[in-house]
Amino acid sequence: MLSWLFNLETKRKRLLDIAPAGPLRNYLESPFPDKNSCLYDTAVLALDFETSGLDANNDHLLSIGCIELRQNRIILDTARHQIIHSKRDISGENISIHHITHDQVAQGQTLAKAVESILRQLQGKVLLAHHAAVEIGFLQQACKTLYGVAPVFPAIDTMQLARRRLERQQQPYKANQLRLFNLRKQYGLPAYQAHNALMDAIATAELFLAQLAHGNYRKPPPLKNFLLHP
Amino acid sequence: MEIELQEIRDFIATIPPFDRLPKDVLDILTSALSIQYVRRGGNIPMEKDSAPTLYILRQGAISLYSGKDNLMGMLGEGDVCTSFCAAEVMPDFYVKATEDTLLYSIPCDTLPRLVEDDQSVLHFIRHSAAQRLKEAVSNMQEQSSSNLLHTYAGDICRGELITASPDTSIRDSARLMSEHGVSSLILLDGDEPVGLVTDRDIRKRCVAAGLAISSPISKIMTRKITSLNAGESLFDALLVMTREQVHHLPVFDDRGLKGIITTTDIMRQEGLSAVHLSSTIRKAPSLEALAEASKMLPRIQLQLTNMGADLRHVGFAVTAVTGAITRRLIALAEADLGPAPVPYAWIAAGSQARREQTSHSDQDNGLIISDKMQPGDDEWFESLARFVNNGLDACGYVYCPGDVMASNPKWRQPVSVWQDYFERWIEQPEPVALMLSSIFFDLRVIHGKEKLLKKIRKHTLRKTPGSQLFLAHMTRNALTHRPPLGFFRDFVLVHDGQHDDTLDLKHSGLVPIIDMARIYALAEGLYEIGTEDRLRAAAGTPSLSKGGSANLLDAFEFISNLRLEHQATQIREGESPDNFMPPKQLSKLEREHLKDAFKVVQTMQATLEMRYHTDRI
Repeated sequence: MLSWLFNLETKRKRLLDIAPAGPLRNYLESPFPDKNSCLYDTAVLALDFETSGLDANNDHLLSIGCIELRQNRIILDTARHQIIHSKRDISGENISIHHITHDQVAQGQTLAKAVESILRQLQGKVLLAHHAAVEIGFLQQACKTLYGVAPVFPAIDTMQLARRRLERQQQPYKANQLRLFNLRKQYGLPAYQAHNALMDAIATAELFLAQLAHGNYRKPPPLKNFLLHP
Repeated sequence: MEIELQEIRDFIATIPPFDRLPKDVLDILTSALSIQYVRRGGNIPMEKDSAPTLYILRQGAISLYSGKDNLMGMLGEGDVCTSFCAAEVMPDFYVKATEDTLLYSIPCDTLPRLVEDDQSVLHFIRHSAAQRLKEAVSNMQEQSSSNLLHTYAGDICRGELITASPDTSIRDSARLMSEHGVSSLILLDGDEPVGLVTDRDIRKRCVAAGLAISSPISKIMTRKITSLNAGESLFDALLVMTREQVHHLPVFDDRGLKGIITTTDIMRQEGLSAVHLSSTIRKAPSLEALAEASKMLPRIQLQLTNMGADLRHVGFAVTAVTGAITRRLIALAEADLGPAPVPYAWIAAGSQARREQTSHSDQDNGLIISDKMQPGDDEWFESLARFVNNGLDACGYVYCPGDVMASNPKWRQPVSVWQDYFERWIEQPEPVALMLSSIFFDLRVIHGKEKLLKKIRKHTLRKTPGSQLFLAHMTRNALTHRPPLGFFRDFVLVHDGQHDDTLDLKHSGLVPIIDMARIYALAEGLYEIGTEDRLRAAAGTPSLSKGGSANLLDAFEFISNLRLEHQATQIREGESPDNFMPPKQLSKLEREHLKDAFKVVQTMQATLEMRYHTDRI
């Protein structure tokens, strides 16, 4: 695991060499947060994507929501939500799930602008998501399309933290239990009515705060204890 | 603010004082929040030395303590915690999460800018409980000044409806109207109102026009009836009457014709109804008639409350009616028993003496008889007492559960015995005996010789100011009724985290203030009896500061008005009025103001407790 963490920073430097000038290169220029630094002092960006499906290769991004965490607080002032303009036809089914209309899509940002903005916000931060593989996968795929290079992201996955906790307690569990909604309920967090990428990013960030509060840490834990490892 | 944060903004928008803010200000406020999660048992604020912060509870619960384990309050979802808004917090004050809690926090120094200096928000954060309460009370007074707007046609229209068939002769109709003392008649074809006839119609369309009085009333009735809905205000009624040039308006509700209101009814709204009832009572020929008249009392209380009257008005009006009933009962008894053998005074104790009665409360009374009383005279007084006590019970003033009634020989005694009672209470105070007798320090003569009570009172008030032990015992008894700590979700938080389902507005709100006012009056030798009068008279004496007096007056007014409104709702819904208010019925703002009122009472109780060292007796 540690070697993988070590590799993450090495990978960043290697990618920096091949990344074209522009948003991706800018992102890779900032060092990743030190894995030994205290988690509470680490800048974290909670991220949620609404997508047309789960396959990063064939499906595409509909909207992005993100919000920053600093010192165990979710800062509402940093909340951002973007709808992504797409020339591709989006199937009617997914429109009803995400409550995003064709009109909104038409008015949205281009994928290039949206990714540029998200990379800027992620710079020097750790990505936080629930089932982060989706967000990372889509972001990598978008970068590959836009810049020809798929970067790496230091990330924390609230779903993985929940799974690890259950496994540590040697409790049998159902996959259903690991869903964001059910985990939030377990921690006494409110059930939000709205399901947009931003409220889901906030919901994920709140879950993370709850997981930390229930961690019973005797002293502030280092970032490396939380980082996602594939 | 990103529109996707709407759900958070909408949550903030329901919480006073933020509920008054316009949408764009709420947007700015929402963006300025940060979210924290505190685990059960965790401290708030989470970091030491944090800057002044306002907290809003999104989920969970927190408890406020002063000193170790001394619970001061609990807050739940949607509550606002202003305890950390001040730069300096009391040294032994701390707050802990009692459930896993999600908090919205906002730095206080940014608030004025964010809410664009909205005074109600800044007031809420910067001012003390007493200051906020004062504001609330003066707002309440402002709102209640327009009376006709807040009285509804259905509430005051005459219940007894006089109707006849359109075939009835004019003569018979006029007879019917005279018999019932009404100035209008509704003509019904089956259940269907087909016309209305008034005194004036008979005069103008029959007598002056030379129409035979044997003609059917349908010849002179007004066929086009202008009517009113029971839910319309008296202001609406007045507009319709002016517009249509009519003096009588039939009132309909869902079930059909409910009654009639007249211009006189509207004029009577100017507070004359209690006077009117008192005169009916004075003329009541029998106990039955008296009991019937007394049924009007809740309606009068409702009318007065709808008009925006406060406890002072309602209390005076209701007490006046009780006094009139008592005096009429005494007159009926004397008519039967013959004149009293010696002079006496019929005295009322408790709320009737303080003129703070609402609707029908228990009766508390006694008899002070002249010392010229001879053996054997008591038979007459006993008969009087029985008749009046039974009569009051029949009129809805139920027997006193503590037997404080003139029919109890203990409270039917000559002046000298009463004098001894008071002397003993003051000079050898025993806690239990004093608890029962405290209502005797609020006495008023309802009928008979004022002089008899005056003598006793003069004597008493000369002694009480110097009687520290007596005052200490009175204080200790007064402190048995404590206001609740506040509200927690839909419960009343009593103490040690104990919950009650309903708020007893009387015992946990008004009684503590009434009891304190009595102690101030006795400590200063004041003759005032009414709570508000006592608080005003004691202001600026060693017993009570001017500020303390003003704060208690505000608290008293706020809680009594809430009780009046609560009882008005009950009367309107046909229930018997009581003092129990489920917290669910309180608006968030009312809860906030009530909490402030409780805080004022707590502070004053603590002051009194220290003054008389009740812990040492």
